[in-house]
Amino acid sequence: MKKFFAKLYIWVLLVILYAPLVFIAVFSFTESKVLGSWEGFSPNLYRNLLTGQMQGNASLLAAVKNTLLIAVIAAAVSTLLGTVAAIGIHNMKGRAKKTVSFLNNIPMINPDIITGVSLFLLFVFLHFSQGYTTVILAHITFCTPYVVLSVLPKLQQMNPNIYEAALDLGATPAQALRKVLIPQLKPGMVSGFILAFTMSLDDFAVTFFTRGTIGLDTLSTYIYTDARKGGLTPELRPLMTLIFLVILILLIIINVRQDRLQKQNENR
Amino acid sequence: MSKRSNWSIPYVIFLVFFVVLPLILVMVYAFQDAQGKFTLGNLAKFFTDRDALSTFAVSIEVALENTGLCILLGYPAAWILANKQYNKSAVTIVLFIMPMWINALMRTLATAQLFTMLGVTLGKGTLLFGMVYDYLPFMIYPIYNVLSKMDKSYAEAAVDLGATPWRAFWKVTVPLSMPGVTSGILMVFMPTVSTFAISEFLTNNKIKLFGTIIQENINSSMWNYGAALAFVMLIIIGITTLFDKDKDEEVEGGLI
Amino acid sequence: MKRILISLAAVALLAGCSEDRSQILKVYNWSDYIDETAIEEFEQWYAEQTGEKVKVIYQTFDINETMLSKIEKGHEDYDVVCPSDYIIERMLQNDLLLPLNRDFGSTPNYIDDNLSPYIRACFDKMEGNGKNANDYAVGYMWGTTGILYNAKYVTDEEASTWDVIRNPKFADRIFIKDSARDVYSQIIMKVKERELADSTVTMDQLMNYTSDADITAVEDYMKQVKPLVAGWEADFGKDQMVQELGYVNLTWSGDGVWAIDEAAELGVELRYALPKEGFTVWFDGWVIPKYAQNTKAANYWINFMSRPDIVIRNVEETGYVSVSGAEEVRDAFTDEEYDPIDLSYFFTPADTAVCANPVLYPAKEDIERSTQEHDWGENTAKLIEMWSRVKGDNANAFTYIFIGLVVLALAAFAFYARASKNRRKKSRRRK
Repeated sequence: MKKFFAKLYIWVLLVILYAPLVFIAVFSFTESKVLGSWEGFSPNLYRNLLTGQMQGNASLLAAVKNTLLIAVIAAAVSTLLGTVAAIGIHNMKGRAKKTVSFLNNIPMINPDIITGVSLFLLFVFLHFSQGYTTVILAHITFCTPYVVLSVLPKLQQMNPNIYEAALDLGATPAQALRKVLIPQLKPGMVSGFILAFTMSLDDFAVTFFTRGTIGLDTLSTYIYTDARKGGLTPELRPLMTLIFLVILILLIIINVRQDRLQKQNENR
Repeated sequence: MSKRSNWSIPYVIFLVFFVVLPLILVMVYAFQDAQGKFTLGNLAKFFTDRDALSTFAVSIEVALENTGLCILLGYPAAWILANKQYNKSAVTIVLFIMPMWINALMRTLATAQLFTMLGVTLGKGTLLFGMVYDYLPFMIYPIYNVLSKMDKSYAEAAVDLGATPWRAFWKVTVPLSMPGVTSGILMVFMPTVSTFAISEFLTNNKIKLFGTIIQENINSSMWNYGAALAFVMLIIIGITTLFDKDKDEEVEGGLI
Repeated sequence: MKRILISLAAVALLAGCSEDRSQILKVYNWSDYIDETAIEEFEQWYAEQTGEKVKVIYQTFDINETMLSKIEKGHEDYDVVCPSDYIIERMLQNDLLLPLNRDFGSTPNYIDDNLSPYIRACFDKMEGNGKNANDYAVGYMWGTTGILYNAKYVTDEEASTWDVIRNPKFADRIFIKDSARDVYSQIIMKVKERELADSTVTMDQLMNYTSDADITAVEDYMKQVKPLVAGWEADFGKDQMVQELGYVNLTWSGDGVWAIDEAAELGVELRYALPKEGFTVWFDGWVIPKYAQNTKAANYWINFMSRPDIVIRNVEETGYVSVSGAEEVRDAFTDEEYDPIDLSYFFTPADTAVCANPVLYPAKEDIERSTQEHDWGENTAKLIEMWSRVKGDNANAFTYIFIGLVVLALAAFAFYARASKNRRKKSRRRK
């Protein structure tokens, strides 16, 4: 009985959590301009989205492209910067280590709007004209701390002697780095990259303040402007549904693989 | 060995330039007038501006209510999910996190549209619902993380020693899970105070939160006042993190 | 050797920085406010007319003040921008504009050939530091502020007064444009209805800052409206009206036309009324800011934007009404489905019966009830503050009591936790 209520509670929460997503998905199959009015089944929105022939607004595709481009660059740079930094921090001691860790925590504790406003003021102060560069720099700022935090535990788990041993056995520092350090850190770097990538994809506030006036839109700012005008671009519905499906499939693959790895480990 | 600590130098420079300097600039702008002279006027304006103060109060209220509701709804969920007896697969927790990967604005807009379709007038109630909806996963996940790693034997021992399960839960499980709750609070409270856009969409612009007035001031080029408002928020963040200082080491518990 | 290298690098850098500005035109316009194909066409046209090459850098803004601060504080070198009427006044006042040069050589002067006499007269009334707006600005689009309403629920009679937004019948169905100046300007005419009727005050006088008491009067009126309001809309009101989620919307004619067309497709009948107490007209116009680098191309841009075929395309794309009084424009927007109205004030004196959309082109009898808004200078802050008091101020006794209680509870909890910790420590020590 208890078990039944526990399960029921979880499922009720999940149903509420997913209701808006299902709502979007259902109405992605009708051509109405307004979300929520059903005008008969039609896959036309999907066709428009995939062929790029929107009912008027083609800048949606540009926004998607910008979002991906910014996320890839920001995630790649943050992963590099964050990994190198993590190795450094790991080898630091005492007060210096505490200070750097504290600085690293600031962008994570700060709400988006503070990060956004403070960077906006920085760029204004430096007379830096805002656009792609400033958005990417801003994204690197709030993404890197997460990379550092995902790489640090891997460094702690690592046996410090392995690297030294490689050097003693005649490896150059570059070889030791490539053959010993990087493979050990790779899982941390990968999860850091994924984290940075998703943080960047989902960001709204920071982009909003640092994108300037050149008409640069990411998906978030596109949706914001669109919604303030009233009437979302209908093609956003199939787009969101597709994104949702992609994530679902990715998660399933990851989970299945993890399960299999676990089972392999258990069998051993 | 110690030379490798130098590897953090590029990042430290980066942090100084893109994190410390901007925050200093927020303070500088907050204490300057439009001509660049020192002034306390911006802060004074905030403390005499009835609209800003009441918006601030409303934001704190909504954030407290939201945090409270998230704990009330999220704690049981996290507990059930972490309990092997009720939930055997890790997939369910993933199900709770997954909606976070869909653009938050889009989800919010869909929620608002669902409400209008059901004939609910947009206002305070819908705002709270939407906020809980957006932030619940941020509360469930850290609590789940702590609970699932927790050694169950403590609670069992308490029961063996004659405590009722209810008492064991309150005296053992809850205190031990507090780090998860605190990092959940950190991830819900301040972000709620500072949201903009979401509150507007959920109330047709009727209720705005503190983030919105910061954004409005910055956007209509009243940078100094906007910076002063951001400064007020920085102080509150400072206070909340001080509260959290005791459990400093545990903060990393959360997130995905 | 090293020094030579450095100086070479410096030269290269400098060359890289100073792009040839005479081949670039920086345009800063409202978003969604142009037929974007016209931009490329301008580049071609400019080359044909002057033999010079120009590349347009087109940027957009959503708020007048954003644009203004970029120029005033940031000294950005936009060559041609498109602010609203009161901002043009403020820019004139603050000496931020360069006079226009209407000498286009062999190229026709589309500006003066086509500008409606009505718009010219309105720009004459814009003031700023003793300068005439017509020397510094050329109108682009214009419109009115009025009431958009759903004919199924609201009668024409009810919509003929601003009081419709205070009518409890339409509670939670009223959308108000989130624009301090526009709302104030309409409601002050409602509040001063009697004084206007017996001519103790004129509409033009009311458009400037008059007194704090007048601001309070509008504030009180709007506070009665507030409980009935379904939302303060920046731009989404038209959409809510089309979906029949709103019945009454204080909005601009441009939004009105869009909503009426969209709604008609769904079988919903929306109408647009200009209330009897009086209403305002607004204008956006092209100006050349002080920090412009390519004034020649900027003047040509303004000229090109006044060419009738370009005007027609922009109007069709954006849904707003052009300031152009050209015959081609008039003919493009007349349609037998409309009743003839008197537009002699706008086109030519002969145009007393034009079959045009009255929402786009108000009839002469309506325009007589209209006036135009002005910049309030230093008093602008009072207007903005009044508006945020109306919209904000949502905290009530419950808010403060609730916060107080939570803070108390947290403090008590912290105290209790510390006390019990100390007790535990002590007892441990005793052992």
